[in-house]
Amino acid sequence: MSLLQVRDVSKTYGSGRAAVAALDGVTFSVETGSMLAILGPSGSGKTTLLSIIAGLLQPSSGEIVIDGDPIHLRSSRTAAAYRREKIGLVFQDYHLIPYLSAVENLLLMPRLAGRVSAEHREKARGLLGEFGLEKRAKHMPSELSGGERQRVAIARALMNDPEIMLVDEPTANLDTERGTQVVTMLGEHVRGRAMTCLMVTHDGRMAEGADRILRLIDGRVAESL
Amino acid sequence: MLALSEILHSKLKFALIALAIGLIVALTMTLSAMSEGLVTGMTGAKGNLDADAVVFQGDTYLNLERSLLTAEEVERVRAADGVAEAYGVGHIFISVDAPAKAFDTRAFGLEGDFEQLPIVEGTGGMPTDGEAIVDETARADGIEVGDTLALTPIDRELTVIGFTENRRYVMAPVFYVNLKTYEDLRVASMFGAMAETTDAELPSATHVTDAVDGSVSVVAVKLEPGVTVDDLAQTLGGEFDVVTPDEAALAGNGMPVMVLAVNGIQVVSFVIGALVIGVFFYITTLHKTGQIAAVKALGASNAFVYRQLLAQILVLVTLGALIGTGLALGAGAGMPSTMAFDPRLDRWAVTLGLVYLMAFVGSLFSLRSILRIDPATALDHAEH
Ligand SMILES: Nc1ncnc2c1ncn2[C@@H]1O[C@H](COP(=O)(O)OP(=O)(O)OP(=O)(O)O)[C@@H](O)[C@H]1O
Ligand SMILES: [Mg+2]
Repeated sequence: MSLLQVRDVSKTYGSGRAAVAALDGVTFSVETGSMLAILGPSGSGKTTLLSIIAGLLQPSSGEIVIDGDPIHLRSSRTAAAYRREKIGLVFQDYHLIPYLSAVENLLLMPRLAGRVSAEHREKARGLLGEFGLEKRAKHMPSELSGGERQRVAIARALMNDPEIMLVDEPTANLDTERGTQVVTMLGEHVRGRAMTCLMVTHDGRMAEGADRILRLIDGRVAESL
Repeated sequence: MLALSEILHSKLKFALIALAIGLIVALTMTLSAMSEGLVTGMTGAKGNLDADAVVFQGDTYLNLERSLLTAEEVERVRAADGVAEAYGVGHIFISVDAPAKAFDTRAFGLEGDFEQLPIVEGTGGMPTDGEAIVDETARADGIEVGDTLALTPIDRELTVIGFTENRRYVMAPVFYVNLKTYEDLRVASMFGAMAETTDAELPSATHVTDAVDGSVSVVAVKLEPGVTVDDLAQTLGGEFDVVTPDEAALAGNGMPVMVLAVNGIQVVSFVIGALVIGVFFYITTLHKTGQIAAVKALGASNAFVYRQLLAQILVLVTLGALIGTGLALGAGAGMPSTMAFDPRLDRWAVTLGLVYLMAFVGSLFSLRSILRIDPATALDHAEH
């Protein structure tokens, strides 16, 4: 069953002679419990695509369908709720909150939605353990290595049980070995769960850890493996 | 709480902000206390008269120094419709030969109601002849309860039996005496150096004394329930001017201009304070644009982000208010008592309320930028 469908999505920045067609009729779908790597050179529209699925950008045309329901985000408030409830977002430069410890960074997610309960704390500890960070729970981001920060960011994105994980360049700041390790961990988490993961990368070796690869060139799907 | 974690994480930065807010609070409070001190120093004895209305001689433009009501006029006011109680108040210039230095001030003769004077030292109630209850700022001139002071040049003496408070007039401590003493001071003043000679040797003096008998400067009136100052003015007609004690206080001695200046100073300090506090939080908000974009991209609503800011403002302004109040009290304690400094709790409560209001108004700048931060920028790594 395909959890996420991207249907004929186009995005043009600007207008007139300054118009840039970042995405042009992109169509694909992703199965539940699988991981899709989006591969493409710089400027091919990867981040634009991620932003549209995350509800951060409106497509110029086309639609995003989750579980059979097209998403409509009319206000910044519904878009925020959509991101909280459906999306797990991992930024390339992590964006951990510098004044919160690793575990508090995870608890930020339930906090955005309301109260933090004992179950949330339990879950945060579990996720940190899963990503090999049980000893780092109380550390501040400044006290963590790049790879550890990356994993905290991934664990945070998983806190609210998102249906769709969106990961931007997860390995850009890591060496190949650690990068592959992170991608493997992420893949293990996604498989067998009612979620999918889209990972943007321009590194072909990282894409090997995914179930499928989508190649973007100049805003079009060039190849879908 | 996110807001608190951030404060604890950057203690120095937020301590400095709290200190800056504290200095602003101290400034506004000190200015408020000094303004208040100036106004009560100028008018306390008039404005604090225990009365609903003060009746002046007509066409004296509410000038206490010039108003004169004869015994017959006082009786007319007392008997007027709507008047529950009335007592005469006499005003006269005196020169006091105090231990520290001689100074000019005024004596107020009260026909009654001495209970209106709060006693901070010594005894209250109606003074006997030759006794006075004095505003406590007279201490600065070396005067103490029990002192007998010579009045120059009229060769009279007054014995201080008690100190009261907030009863200065044109910055000098007022001496409250009974009506008989007041009349004696007036007659003596009229004849100046000749007062040493006896009345019997001067037929004209007897004449004047008779005329002065029972006359006062103004009449303080307590109205019957439901009767207004305007009603009384209507009843008494054009021979009298009728106002509230507060209006009386703000008339004459350049008070209208002074009040304008004092209010101007307070408004300016308030506006600058609001701007400075607003700019502080605006800068901290601008400083965190990237972080706010990320939190919004993770699903934080604008309301969530703004609530964090408000929580921080609440904590820092409360700290600042404590620091500021401490500094202002310290500044007040360090000032000489003659300096016009009147820290009134109600005024400071208003000032504190205004400081919270200024901070809130200031936070609106930040709200605008919070609303404008585009969460999509959190994915543009190039900018960071
Ligand atoms: N806000 C914008 N305004 C105008 N043009 C934009 C904007 N954002 C992106 N573009 C353009 O859209 C195209 C796709 O950009 P996008 O950021 O999606 O590429 P990308 O594949 O993520 O590249 P990279 O690998 O360098 O991150 C580029 O040509 C870019 O210049
Ligand atoms: Mg990109």
